[in-house]
Amino acid sequence: MFYRLSGVHHANYLSDSRIFKVPADRNLAAFIFLIGIAAPFIIPSLYLNSYMLPWLIWTAAALGLNLVTGWAGQLHLGYAAVMAVGAYSAIHAVRFGVPWEFALIIGGLTSSVIGSLFAFAALRVKGLYLALTTLAMQFVMDWVLTHSPAITGGSHASLQSPTLALLGQEITSDVGYYYVAFGWCVLVTIFMLNLKRTGLGRALVAVREKDFAAAILGVNSFYYKILAFATSSFIAGVSGALLVATFFFLAAPEQFSVNVSIQVLAMVIVGGLGSIIGSYFGVALILLVPGVVNGLFFTASQSLGLQINVETLAHIPNAVYGALIVIILLVEPLGLGKLYGNIRDYLMVWPFDQLRK
Amino acid sequence: MAEGATLQNTANETFGKLLARNASSHGSSIAIREKERGIWKESTWAEYVEVVLACAAGLRKFGVKPGKAVLILGDNRARLYQGMLAVSLLGAYAMPAYPGATLEELQHFLGEVDIVAAIAEDQEQVDKILEVRKAGARGIAHVIYDETRGLGFYEDDGLMSWDHLIEVGRHDLNEDPHRREELLNKAKPDDPAIFLHSSGTTGKPKGVVLSQRNVLAAARNGHEAGAFDQNEEILAYLPMAWVGDYAITVAAALLYRFTVNVPERQETVVRDMREIAPTFYLAAPRSWDQMLTTIQVGMEDSTPVKKWLYHFFMDRATAAETRKLNGKSGGLLEPVGRFLGEAIVFGPIKDQFGMSRLKNAFTGGEAIGEDTFVFYRALGIKLRQFYGQTEISAISAMQAPNEVRLHTVGKPAPGVEVKIHESGEILLRSESVFAGYFKKPEASAETLEGAWLHTGDAGYLEENGQLVVLGRISEVMHTGGGERYVPNYIENRLKFSPYIKDAAVVGAGRDELTAMVCVDFEAVGHWAEVNGVPYVSYSDLSQRDEVAALLHEAFLRVNKALTEALQLKRFVSLPKEFDPDDGEITRTRKLRRKVVEERYTDVIAALYDGSKEVHVSAQVTYETGEVGKVERSLPIREV
Repeated sequence: MFYRLSGVHHANYLSDSRIFKVPADRNLAAFIFLIGIAAPFIIPSLYLNSYMLPWLIWTAAALGLNLVTGWAGQLHLGYAAVMAVGAYSAIHAVRFGVPWEFALIIGGLTSSVIGSLFAFAALRVKGLYLALTTLAMQFVMDWVLTHSPAITGGSHASLQSPTLALLGQEITSDVGYYYVAFGWCVLVTIFMLNLKRTGLGRALVAVREKDFAAAILGVNSFYYKILAFATSSFIAGVSGALLVATFFFLAAPEQFSVNVSIQVLAMVIVGGLGSIIGSYFGVALILLVPGVVNGLFFTASQSLGLQINVETLAHIPNAVYGALIVIILLVEPLGLGKLYGNIRDYLMVWPFDQLRK
Repeated sequence: MAEGATLQNTANETFGKLLARNASSHGSSIAIREKERGIWKESTWAEYVEVVLACAAGLRKFGVKPGKAVLILGDNRARLYQGMLAVSLLGAYAMPAYPGATLEELQHFLGEVDIVAAIAEDQEQVDKILEVRKAGARGIAHVIYDETRGLGFYEDDGLMSWDHLIEVGRHDLNEDPHRREELLNKAKPDDPAIFLHSSGTTGKPKGVVLSQRNVLAAARNGHEAGAFDQNEEILAYLPMAWVGDYAITVAAALLYRFTVNVPERQETVVRDMREIAPTFYLAAPRSWDQMLTTIQVGMEDSTPVKKWLYHFFMDRATAAETRKLNGKSGGLLEPVGRFLGEAIVFGPIKDQFGMSRLKNAFTGGEAIGEDTFVFYRALGIKLRQFYGQTEISAISAMQAPNEVRLHTVGKPAPGVEVKIHESGEILLRSESVFAGYFKKPEASAETLEGAWLHTGDAGYLEENGQLVVLGRISEVMHTGGGERYVPNYIENRLKFSPYIKDAAVVGAGRDELTAMVCVDFEAVGHWAEVNGVPYVSYSDLSQRDEVAALLHEAFLRVNKALTEALQLKRFVSLPKEFDPDDGEITRTRKLRRKVVEERYTDVIAALYDGSKEVHVSAQVTYETGEVGKVERSLPIREV
């Protein structure tokens, strides 16, 4: 209904390969972008800071994992560890006197190097074995963090993040933090949107579908697997550093433990492998829905006057949220991104039922 | 009167001058777009004219000059259009032929005029020309082809690619700095623009030469009648050998600087149309019917909610249009329904078919069914009827956007005069009327009487100046009881049913009228699938009792509108479609009555002798040229 395609034609291949071929998609993206910019003036500061900001940073992180899992098809269970590497190296760099701009890049690059180590495992093993190998590396990283006082200050200590400053401007306000997160998320999104239409993106998809078939096509799967891990790790590292700098304000090993890894993977899978808009939805579901369900149950039990004990009240939302994930994946195994795609397709051919030949 | 001004303006214009004008004052706007491998390759007017000039210079080198002709053979291609213009610049005859033209037809053309060169679309067409050459025809010394695929190893004399021709032409243009000027000013207004052929429902097609003055006058008349504005976006998909395509895609496009969009191939027209969303669209009633069927079939397959929404808005809109057609005004809520319907149903449907920017939509060639007409008006497309023939460069009368009646074809265009002959024949006079059939003085004298063109159509003028066309005057027939009827009129009414593709009404000199029909394979095939009617082939499907019941309904509907004496009494569903390759219809899908009556003598006899069945063997010409036979016994159905 909203998607109008008549009159859309391409006079050269450049125009044919642009990101938004459907005017309605482009308009929607522009609209969301404007809302993102205007958010500090629309949304109360509490929500801005405790919902919008983590949502955006985790989305950027999830997009990074989507690159390696959704695009290149490599299961990764140690993503949080890579984020930790970025966070700690960036903080240490700043404490050493490096400006934040470079510190973020240093964090990203360090993550890249460590993350590429995962890739060497991926070159040897596949599927479940790769999952287990990356999981093992997560544990190794956990152990290193908790047992190196030089990096973390010890198992129960936490490391204070210096005040964020970008372009010579100290950032201390909520609005400032939000714009930093927003800017990073937009940057990663633009990168991912473009990835789809580059040779790199196509090579990654070829590796995902069948790495030896890709090799026959002349795609060096060794090179692309390492590239995928390195790129995704860079995104992870910067996201981890920004998460600490704008949200947690201090870094502790448990912020990047194995369950966080699994949570990010869940965000990607619920959102949809290889889907950009899906990553946004997936993060929102995993990150924000528990709070919403909690609040709903609390108000419901209050207004109905039910005397539910605190422990049950704490567990019911968890059960509901778990059920929600199961239901979504049952309805559409390809995740929320695909659900959105289905709605889009439905409207695309409106009022007909399918595309005519 | 405005007519005087029109005559003045067109008097001195030629294609050369118009090309020069477009290239110098609008050099950077897009003249033509051609789709190639999914990409619309654009040429500006400056580039376009440069290619036309190079082509003209090249053709001149190869002996194209006034009095000679160049055959243009193929589907719509940008280069073929450029080639036609180049030939006109040289004052020679550009002679487009239908891409499906057979060897005999080509040989007939060769007999008429000295064809010195041919511009062909691809290997298929080149093969045809080479075969004609091999069959001993003189002429066609040079064959130029557009699509090079498959032609790499051909070593025939005079065969060259378009690029080679352009190279030769460019070289010539560079050598002589005055050549451009010379080419652009060479042809005069009365020099030929195009050599076409009348459709030839009776006998061999006759050659029609239209001068540049004729076609430009026609374009101007059309513009003044409101058929098209400046800078229209149009889709060049109609056969190049049809006068309507030439008048719009070449003459009007040149005069009013249209952007001509050439689809990738015939099969992709629907998709390409959506990508272009033309502002002007001309189609035969059959195409409009087909699109209507596609929309309706698509909606039937849709989900209940969408179906309900569609019917909710569509039923109201068609009712409103029917009221308007009958001169009644609508209710107060009508604009509200119109607005919502446009947003929810009509807009999306128009978008799917690339009609969302359509301002000037036309149907012509034959009568259009009320259902189809009202449907498109309801959809918000101001579909209009127009009337014209090859001899008057396609444009003689058309309806105004807001003044539409079903039975008229509108007012004569400014610059066209209409007179009704005593015999009831429509006579036309205009600057766009041709000078006479090519080398056929007797036929010309019959058709042209003191500049008045005898259209051969029976009709009359209404008091408000609207022209009504009844049918071919030569086709007015009488039953045994002396009842006067026009078979074509009844056949068109039959064809308004989506299930009937072609029909032939017989009964001249007999007591009752009967008909032979060909079912529409697509529509009936789909109906059969939905209703669980099994069939294996066209001939099987056409004879099924369930299908006969379907046809029966259509016949009852038509009979309701006919007087008692003219009602159709029996019919036979034929086991094969009418096909231009078999000579049963012309390439523009007009019935060749004599051929059909001859070929189906047995069937016609059986329709009247009371038998219940008739055995037929119909001739089928395959695309390879082989001739086969379809044998079957057909039941005769009573209405």
